[in-house]
Amino acid sequence: MAVIGKTSLKGIASGRSPAWMAGLVALVSLLVLPWGRTDRSLLEFDSKLLVLNQAPWLGGVLLAVVAVLTLSSLLHLPLVQRGYALVGLGGAGFLVGVGWLVSTSVPFGVGALLVLTALLVMVGIGLSESGIIQNDPFVTSSILVCSLFVLLFIAYPLFTVLRESVLVKGVFTLNKIQSVLTSPLFISIENPYTDHSEQLLVNLTTLGLGLLGAGLAARGGLRGPRVLTGLGVGLVLGWIIGAGIFGGGAFPTSLYLALIVAPITTALGLVFALLEQRSRAVWVRRSLGVVSLLPLITPPFVFAFALIYWLGRSGIITSDLLGLKTSFLFGINGVAIAQVFAFTPVAFLILRGSVQGLNPALEEASTTLRAHPWQTFRDITWPLLRPGLAAAFLLTIIESLADFGNPMLLGGDRNFLSTEVFLALTGRYDPNEAAVYGAVLLCLVLVIFGLQRLWLGNTSFVTVTGKPGAGNFSPLPVWLERTLQTILALWGLAVVLLYFSIFFGSFVQIWGINNSFTFKHYVDLTNLGLPVLLKTAQLAFISAIIATLVGFLIAYLVSRQQFWGRGLLEVGSMLSFATPGTVMGVAYILAFNTGPWLLTGTGIIIVLALVFRNMPAAVRGVISGLSQIDKSLEEASTLLRAPSSTTLRRVLIPLLIPQLLAGLVFAFVRGMTAISQIIFLISPGNALATVLMLRWIEQGDLGRGAAMATVMILGLLTVILILFAVSRRLGRGTSLEAAV
Amino acid sequence: MQQTVSATHTGKQQAVSVKLEGIVKKFGKVTAVEKVDLELPAGKLITLLGPSGCGKTTILRMVAGLERPTEGRILFGGEDVTRLPAYLRDITMMFQSYALFPHMNVYQNIAYGLEVTRRPKQEIRERVAEVVQQVGLTGLEERPVAALSGGQQQRVALARSLVMQPRVLLFDEPLSNLDAKLRKRVREEIRDLQQELGITSLYVTHDQEEAMAISDLVVLMNKGVIEQQGDPRTLYTRPVSRFAADFIGRANFFEGHYSAGHIQVAGYQQPYQQEGISGKVTVMVRPEALKVHLSGDGLDGTIHHVSFLGSSTEFSVDTPVGRLEGVVAGDAPELPGRGERVKVQFAPQGTFLLPA
Ligand SMILES: Nc1ncnc2c1ncn2[C@@H]1O[C@H](COP(=O)(O)OP(=O)(O)OP(=O)(O)O)[C@@H](O)[C@H]1O
Ligand SMILES: [Mg+2]
Repeated sequence: MAVIGKTSLKGIASGRSPAWMAGLVALVSLLVLPWGRTDRSLLEFDSKLLVLNQAPWLGGVLLAVVAVLTLSSLLHLPLVQRGYALVGLGGAGFLVGVGWLVSTSVPFGVGALLVLTALLVMVGIGLSESGIIQNDPFVTSSILVCSLFVLLFIAYPLFTVLRESVLVKGVFTLNKIQSVLTSPLFISIENPYTDHSEQLLVNLTTLGLGLLGAGLAARGGLRGPRVLTGLGVGLVLGWIIGAGIFGGGAFPTSLYLALIVAPITTALGLVFALLEQRSRAVWVRRSLGVVSLLPLITPPFVFAFALIYWLGRSGIITSDLLGLKTSFLFGINGVAIAQVFAFTPVAFLILRGSVQGLNPALEEASTTLRAHPWQTFRDITWPLLRPGLAAAFLLTIIESLADFGNPMLLGGDRNFLSTEVFLALTGRYDPNEAAVYGAVLLCLVLVIFGLQRLWLGNTSFVTVTGKPGAGNFSPLPVWLERTLQTILALWGLAVVLLYFSIFFGSFVQIWGINNSFTFKHYVDLTNLGLPVLLKTAQLAFISAIIATLVGFLIAYLVSRQQFWGRGLLEVGSMLSFATPGTVMGVAYILAFNTGPWLLTGTGIIIVLALVFRNMPAAVRGVISGLSQIDKSLEEASTLLRAPSSTTLRRVLIPLLIPQLLAGLVFAFVRGMTAISQIIFLISPGNALATVLMLRWIEQGDLGRGAAMATVMILGLLTVILILFAVSRRLGRGTSLEAAV
Repeated sequence: MQQTVSATHTGKQQAVSVKLEGIVKKFGKVTAVEKVDLELPAGKLITLLGPSGCGKTTILRMVAGLERPTEGRILFGGEDVTRLPAYLRDITMMFQSYALFPHMNVYQNIAYGLEVTRRPKQEIRERVAEVVQQVGLTGLEERPVAALSGGQQQRVALARSLVMQPRVLLFDEPLSNLDAKLRKRVREEIRDLQQELGITSLYVTHDQEEAMAISDLVVLMNKGVIEQQGDPRTLYTRPVSRFAADFIGRANFFEGHYSAGHIQVAGYQQPYQQEGISGKVTVMVRPEALKVHLSGDGLDGTIHHVSFLGSSTEFSVDTPVGRLEGVVAGDAPELPGRGERVKVQFAPQGTFLLPA
């Protein structure tokens, strides 16, 4: 890095600075690349857009600053003084540049992007060389650049959502919030067309469950806070259930749905996790590996789609077998069924971790103390499983709230929060209303994350996945194993039927009506869908690479470096993981639609949305990988005179190849199957496969949609199998948990 | 990404002295190191000795630059390096875990530092060959490090440090993963190499025998402060506190009185010379200084037990000031047996008085 000239042992204090490289980039960008844009394309080039033509004084200032800094970096000057200059002048240049963009609202161009990033890098190098910050130049610049990205592409959009919900046409007002929250789309309890009072029923349910909760809490002794908590929880649950059943509107419906789905999913997940660990039958244990693959290869609403084949108005079971003409599937029922199928594997992956973290020695100890198996379960196993169960439960609630595709397809006449965000923006053209819905959804999710913190203390979703302990577990009682196996078999059968129907549906004229074999849908797909599919793969791939790199860097910074604001960077980067996709989507639309950060209508915004959506998975994967690498390896490398960029390249990256590869593949797969965050962002020329598929299905082109789904599923399966093969060749396993 | 460090590797490094001035290190609320002043003379091997958690590793890491002191300055031969980043300090360190790069073989591990600093290929080969021979790893260059024994890994780590010809060499309990026999051999090798190369070395251990065996200077630490420093002999014979006496070797402690060139213990008087102390004292007696006789002058005692350990014989004796432990070399048939009444005396070389 630094080219140090040491004249004596005392002479460490002067030399060149690597900042010249960034300086050169900035210089060239200033001279030949466009500073601002007139339209959406970032590739636009016109000499009028050069900074010296667009804003001569700004260009002059920046050129002077960059030239001075670059020159001084090339000379042997005292490190500390030049460091201060880099920080001061570079920082000033950065602020002036950003200030100009913000105040004139001219969309930034490639040149501005490069110049500003380069200036930030120079500031970072300066901070390090002046000794203001102890980390080395590479680390300091990385911290600054990563923080800027997180700020601009995660914090700023989310802030925009909150801002737009109270700022209508530039005027601060709470009216929008009020009108949305009182609209029947959001909550409606009383139905004027029935002769009973829904409000009364809801109140009764609320009260009933509240009392029940208090009673249950009081059973363990009459302690005030406990009983009050019981009462509170009961009241909330009672209201949600009551309003969900008797009332309507997006708010109670979404919550009610989540309350149905989460316990079922968690229970199924636990069943599968226990079976995988303790079943006597090999086939059972084997087949569960496949279960964990499903969420990766299945676009989120494919189960909903397949359910239409089986249970829809002309579904095989409902119509052909039972002779019903029912639309029971369209509404909460259908969405709940589809979500159970979609999220059970997720719960399974989480619970698998905590079940494997159980220590057989504990159970053996308990058994040798003559405890009844039931007692062992109650006193030993259950308390250890509880954090995992809570994590799975809360995560499925979040997934259910955030789910977009299933409610979109099966929601029927019910409203859901995540679809309302979308419909408000694209159907009612009301960005402020969309922002209010987004803010509500965001708050709900953050509250649930908060609850998780409260409940589980600091054990995060990551740490509850433990390591397999040694020893043997006592097998399950036979009757229990039989029951669980039956559940698994039924679930498996249903999943097979669902996949089969997609596959079959893609080869017949019109499913259920005209079952004659045809290639028609694949021909259509080739004409209409193939370019889109390729475009999607391209965007997903680019985003996967960026997400993995940025994720790796952030993981390295937060887990291996000490600096002020480290916690903020970590929380910031995880925020996009917690944020429901639709909220992120609407946030991007609102934040990047005009002004200096204009990006909508380009492929870049899709890539960015995918990057910041999928990066947290890479961050967590790398953090867990890093936790297995002794920190002294890096310290040894440092003391052998390697700057941290070299340590990363020569020590950490080679050791983390499996994690990085897995991160890359998972980011790609998730990018391919994403829908909620990008459905807002598509533009002509940037259509995406999942969105197109959703549109086809909604239009009734089921066969074509099925063909697309089949191609995607098989393609993604291939990609993942290749990953497994490669990581087996590398001799190191790949953990699926990182992909959840 | 180029680094040229001129005038550094043209020859053997000149040994440099290391000075810590008023060093304080806090981790949040925990004070790991409190006001430490320390001078490591050039070319010497200094041990930091002390119980677990007393701040040895923290001091080492601050010298290395892996940790920045909360207060105070660190000087290398007069140059203030407090703010100099670790990778520019010209220091290497041997880690307890060895910290060998698992994806590289022996040669690559040793050559790593030279490659990173862009030494010419030819020089790298020569210097690696030289240290490989010095530490006795010849023939193992192509082995992956995972396929080495603990002792061999240890040598690779040592070679990797030495090849950089550092200004200062740091060791953090480098031997604690070796078995007892090997530990002894390797520590002698380390000492020999260090003396031969004359590198200023700072060595952390909590094993007092190891510290005594290899150091020019021992720095005894307790709870973040320096308890005592000096050469091993001084520390053993002239401890400044009960903690120091106890930590370095074994010792008996009991109450006594000192005046006019005589120690008085429970009615027994013995001539003894020590400056600067008088009145009530704590008497420290090393086990080998405890002499028992069947007759003559001495403190009254009864032999409690005797056990023969091969190269030495240990015994304990009950006296009015409590049970005292003693040791004599070899088999000692003349030693009184269990239950016999004896007179106990204290040999002056192993006796020292501390303020009560
Ligand atoms: N990174 C850290 N964060 C917080 N506290 C720390 C950190 N490193 C060390 N400490 C604390 O500082 C004190 C001194 O630790 P240090 O590692 O220097 O002890 P040590 O003398 O090397 O002990 P040992 O012989 O067990 O290695 C301990 O109380 C330790 O808990
Ligand atoms: Mg230590």
